[in-house]
Amino acid sequence: MGPPVVDGWGLGLAASLLCINAGLSLWLRLGLERALGVAALRAAVQLSLLAMVLEPVFSIAHPAAVVGLVLVMVLLAGREAARRTSRSYAGMGWVTLVAMGGGAGLTAVIGTGWILRADPWWEPRYLIPFVGMILGNTLTGVSLGLDTVLRALDEQRSTVELRMALGASPWEACRPLVADATRTGMLPIVNAMSVAGLVTIPGMMTGQLLGGSSPSVAARYQVLILFLITAAVGVGVGVAVITTLRLLFDARWRLRLERLTHR
Amino acid sequence: MLELDGVACRFGERVLFADLCLSLASGATVAVRGPSGAGKSLLMRAIAGFDPIQEGAVRLEGRAQDAWPVAEWRARVAWVPQAGGAPWGSPADLVAERATFRARRGAPVVDPRAFGEAMLLSARSWDQPWRSLSGGERQRVLLALAISGEPDVLLLDEPTSALDAAATAAVERVLAGRTALWVTHDVAQAARVATATVEVG
Repeated sequence: MGPPVVDGWGLGLAASLLCINAGLSLWLRLGLERALGVAALRAAVQLSLLAMVLEPVFSIAHPAAVVGLVLVMVLLAGREAARRTSRSYAGMGWVTLVAMGGGAGLTAVIGTGWILRADPWWEPRYLIPFVGMILGNTLTGVSLGLDTVLRALDEQRSTVELRMALGASPWEACRPLVADATRTGMLPIVNAMSVAGLVTIPGMMTGQLLGGSSPSVAARYQVLILFLITAAVGVGVGVAVITTLRLLFDARWRLRLERLTHR
Repeated sequence: MLELDGVACRFGERVLFADLCLSLASGATVAVRGPSGAGKSLLMRAIAGFDPIQEGAVRLEGRAQDAWPVAEWRARVAWVPQAGGAPWGSPADLVAERATFRARRGAPVVDPRAFGEAMLLSARSWDQPWRSLSGGERQRVLLALAISGEPDVLLLDEPTSALDAAATAAVERVLAGRTALWVTHDVAQAARVATATVEVG
């Protein structure tokens, strides 16, 4: 017998719990009733849609379908990362796309094919949750790193140019600022690793436990995914920051800040 | 040595100046004057190679800016910007770091502190964080750094704007006889230091 199933009646009961929040909102005049209802409905609809997409991909079990879905996920994540920075430049969406796709694709495939030895390596039951978790976390790192480097170039132009006037190449001039951006991008996942399991049970481990795995198996999966995420953040932040430098300096070592737009 | 041939400068749609021609001989100092917002700083940036030259040509020893390797142009044409941003660490850190820049490996190492001293800059300034330096101290640090790179031409953007009379005189003494384009608001200073004056704007 598998784990218990959440049926329609159960979901309805869970939804009725939201009356607590609605009641609070009415009582304290928070004006949140509408937003609460819309958000709850969106969560239900979006996740049902996701399930509807995943079902056929899991049952067809064809590499083209799995890889196609992964590409769509990368596309959405890349777009979201590019939207979260305070400044942008033409082509930045491509940079985040490649940075995140490269990092997540590489680590997810190493995880499924090489470490879990899934057969085939694109087995959707492993690859898709891995890619999803890795993308969700690299999103934060890449957008933070990118935002930090763009802000620094914009605000510290005179320092960067002074260093270049003294003979530095763009790379040499920007080294401290690249280090800062990379550190900022990597810190959240490093912090997450160091408190993993102390405050909350992490998402993947929770899922494994609910799915019936033993705690020690679930813990191993969680450690694996944390390491994969961290490596993906490293690749993603590195690619995004370095490519950004290449695109904002021209061949004559000039910082072309007019390519930046604020928003 | 340095030639400007029909250089124009626009800021957006607005033409700041057009058809600027000048020729700077070795050892000469030309003062660049003009009202605020006339594009003097933009001109310095463009000559130094930090902004594209919008029109006309800038040549060093008869060779156009584009034809020089960037690193060599910047070593020969030293830009001393108006003291703006605060780099990380202290001036001494920057001096040490400069020696590690690829373009400067094998270049003669000249200690900028001697120039600083000649400009009445206290030796302590080199080891203090940039943030704690006054505008006048920063100006002299930047000048000493530029001079110690032994460039062919100095591009000076109001190098004494934050200095008192004694320090200004010391800076003028140190800079005397060097090949320079010198942006200044001060008519008397232009008369003291320059062999010729161009007006822009």
